[in-house]
Amino acid sequence: MNALLTSVVAGLTGGGAYGLLGVCAVFTYRLVAVVNFTAAAIGTTGTFVLVMLYEAGAPLWLAMACGLVAGTVAGIAIGLVMTAWFAESSASTKAAVTVALLVGIVAIGLRLTGGQHPHHFPDLFPGSAMRLAGVELTFSSLLTIGLGVVFTVLAETFLTRTRMGLHLRALSERPMAAELIGVPVRRLAVLVWGITGAVTTFSLMIIAPQRSPDFASLSLLVVPALAAALIGLFRSFWITLVGGIMIGVVEGTMSVFPGLSQYRGAVPFLIILAVLLWLQRGARWDEAR
Amino acid sequence: MTRLVVSGLRVDRAHLPVVRDVSLAVESGRISVLLGANGAGKTTLLEGLSGVIPVAGGTIEIDGHDIHRARPGARVAAGLAHVEQGRTVFRQLTTDENLRAGACAASDVAAAYELFPELLPRRDVPAGLLSGGEQQMLVIARALAGRPKILLIDEMSAGLAPTIVRRLMATVRRLADQGLAVVLVEQFAVLALGVGDRAYVLRRGEIVYDGACAALRDAPDMLHQLYLGGSGDGPA
Repeated sequence: MNALLTSVVAGLTGGGAYGLLGVCAVFTYRLVAVVNFTAAAIGTTGTFVLVMLYEAGAPLWLAMACGLVAGTVAGIAIGLVMTAWFAESSASTKAAVTVALLVGIVAIGLRLTGGQHPHHFPDLFPGSAMRLAGVELTFSSLLTIGLGVVFTVLAETFLTRTRMGLHLRALSERPMAAELIGVPVRRLAVLVWGITGAVTTFSLMIIAPQRSPDFASLSLLVVPALAAALIGLFRSFWITLVGGIMIGVVEGTMSVFPGLSQYRGAVPFLIILAVLLWLQRGARWDEAR
Repeated sequence: MTRLVVSGLRVDRAHLPVVRDVSLAVESGRISVLLGANGAGKTTLLEGLSGVIPVAGGTIEIDGHDIHRARPGARVAAGLAHVEQGRTVFRQLTTDENLRAGACAASDVAAAYELFPELLPRRDVPAGLLSGGEQQMLVIARALAGRPKILLIDEMSAGLAPTIVRRLMATVRRLADQGLAVVLVEQFAVLALGVGDRAYVLRRGEIVYDGACAALRDAPDMLHQLYLGGSGDGPA
């Protein structure tokens, strides 16, 4: 029983990061209408800047700051590509472009970081924050979940209470109509890409020490993040956050059972499949009638 | 006072010229009506003026400043507002939020409700649930909330009941009388010529008539010929 609880709690760190990355995916989709497959790759870029600088002897805080700046810049760069050339494209075209960009970033990233060459990822927030039912709850778990909650609350408040949030909601629905009433469309879009770049980088920095330390594996954390976003139907920040945490917990739970442990990575795919089937039930019903 | 001067404008779509060598002069307090058959280039011309699509040649001046290379946002700042065809409300935002998104200050929202009191009871309703007439009022009010000097309106009457169209036409006339420069693109020529001052007729992307609305209103045969082409073209 204790082993199970330990695994569940261990899954919280991953779950918190999935939730946070998922909330970022919803933020990007709702505001600039892009299903962004490069999100985790952007975060991974910033994380590897941290690792490289740290390995070169830079102080941790400086490496972390540079990593965050790099992730923000990478996010803005992708955002500029999307707003300059694909602003009026369909959602599926934009998603396909981000998949192509993901492949490019991973190829370049693997080349620059030495492929599967192991790197030492510093644990940014080591140690145990508290004990929960006899199980250690790490600072990393609490921080990712806490950050997810804070980001969700801020995003909701920002969108519903501020003039800039109102402009962003207008922008997400009709970019050209928004521009024609004077909404500073490009500046806002770049802001969204910059914010999500910084937040995804920070969450990747926290989760990286517990994952396969190579560029490709970390970049593919976008899959559970998008699974979480799908649970929230790419609309609800809260359901996405909870969905992400649940995915992490299910993964953690499966690690207890030797027969299931090796299939942990398939959890997001099963969830995506289940949500898609659930969403299509109406269509199937209509067809049957 | 001449607000908007367009000279030798060319606008392309898919690398083909849709609007060619168009020159216009739009004045404060006047309604300039832009007429033409389907596919004549009316909407493309408006989109070129507001920056929705880049222009391929010519100049667009607002109060003497050339804006033909500026982004749509910069043209809005220069005083141009474009009400696109198809009633482009932000459907998930309420009526009030639509107005606030376009307004410079809270007083602009209040002024919008004064202009269209019909919108006031619908202020908290998502704009996607408004009737066609209410949505058209909303997009006009939203454009006005940005305090423009020149208002471009595309196909205002499309799909609306005649009483609503008459109501909207009267409002546009009143706005012009208060000093706004209006460019009105319309399929229904008779309605537009009834409220307009100056008329332009476009055929295959070129202006084939530039003159008083009254002259065209009184000569329906001439209008037919201008739309369809042929020997009896009016002054170009």
